[in-house]
Amino acid sequence: MDDRDLVGRARRGDPEAFTQLMMQYQVPVYNMALRMVGRPDDAADIAQEAFTRAWVKIRTLRDAPFKSWLFQIAANLCYDHFRRGRRYGEMPDEETNKVVGLGIATPDPQERAEASERNRLVRQSIEALEPDMRLAIILRDVNGMAYDEIAGVLRVPLGTVKSRIARARAQVQEHLQQYPDFFPSTREDAHAE
Amino acid sequence: MPSEPRIPTEPTMDELSAYLDHELDNEAKARVAEHVAGCADCQARLDGLRQAAYAIRALPMETPPRTFVIPTKRRESFRWAPAAGWVGGVAAAMLIIVVGVQHLNFGGTTSAGSASPVSGGLAQNPSTLSQKGAAAPTGSPGSVTADSSRAFSPYSKTVTDPRNNARRLSLMINAATYATDGFIVVDGTMSGDPSSNVGQIRLLLRRGSYGVELPMPQQTFTNSNGIGFEGTYSIAALRLPNPATGSYTLTATWVATDGSAVTLFAELPVTIK
Repeated sequence: MDDRDLVGRARRGDPEAFTQLMMQYQVPVYNMALRMVGRPDDAADIAQEAFTRAWVKIRTLRDAPFKSWLFQIAANLCYDHFRRGRRYGEMPDEETNKVVGLGIATPDPQERAEASERNRLVRQSIEALEPDMRLAIILRDVNGMAYDEIAGVLRVPLGTVKSRIARARAQVQEHLQQYPDFFPSTREDAHAE
Repeated sequence: MPSEPRIPTEPTMDELSAYLDHELDNEAKARVAEHVAGCADCQARLDGLRQAAYAIRALPMETPPRTFVIPTKRRESFRWAPAAGWVGGVAAAMLIIVVGVQHLNFGGTTSAGSASPVSGGLAQNPSTLSQKGAAAPTGSPGSVTADSSRAFSPYSKTVTDPRNNARRLSLMINAATYATDGFIVVDGTMSGDPSSNVGQIRLLLRRGSYGVELPMPQQTFTNSNGIGFEGTYSIAALRLPNPATGSYTLTATWVATDGSAVTLFAELPVTIK
């Protein structure tokens, strides 16, 4: 069943339909919030609030895609989080224990430690971004959204999306270049697209 | 020696980044590709952008640390409670909705190494349930069972302490019927008692007079509803009668900590075949 059918039922007050929508979007929305605000508890609060508001307001949703609308709500809550003076929180080290979709932990402790450190550095580079850029790159590279979807979430022109993502990537790359042991230069690599 | 003059079609950073994402129209894409093929500087810029994108994409997708819930009744004017997060206005009337979080690690509480997804199940707001159980007098030992026949899902049960409507126990499972080599996912929430902890809960899977106790999961969480727990159990690893197939009852018990010994029982039928 696609979003439109479920949204139609949810708009008529069917909680089971909304549950299915929650099941579908809980991981992407939570991870978007997590990469925006850093701390799992804060991200879960934001995801929870986003679903609550979506449920409360779903009758106001007309032709807009549910996904963009839901992420828009979650994104606004992330901004609210910072407006209330909350800071970016550091993710606990054990985060890699709870990975969706992989299921197999890296067996070698050294590899695992390196992966953990690499992830920490990437999170640090994301944290250093200004929130508008951070959100754009998260929607693209964490959530895998197309540019027009991102434009719908952020309510900005396509050119702005393009520019925010490019600048964010450039800044992330600049940050990662400080750690060549973890992020070696790719100049000599093949890069056929 | 002066550097080679740049050709006018040198792509911008925005174009290079969009090129990575296949977000350029065909004409622009061809132009960028042609330019990059002959320009080491732009090749390096493109590699840098690619490395940043791939580094972020390589971050693991995390499992939400708790289940999400929605209010039972939608209200047009939703109150945002900044200090307490979202909880303030809606805690009194919640539907507990178990959503399909894939918990891939349960801290070794299950005997099998994998977990199956939890499917949706709803626990009726206890305030709407009829109370058929005999209420134990306050201060005297007794047991209480509340009827949740109006639950949305056959896989969930919420019982309420009639002496204290805020105190309730919800129990949910992901299916009613399991194969002998299947996994049963159990969720529960204890609410309305600030002194509660999951150590006060006992989970039993019983058939007739025989029962096995399920170890309480280490996967617990706290939210506005109270304390929650979730565990996945390999049916094959449980010491069930032989043959294991048959009708069982999953029972969660919660003994009050106020000295009254009043106990809430939430029970769900389980079939193994």
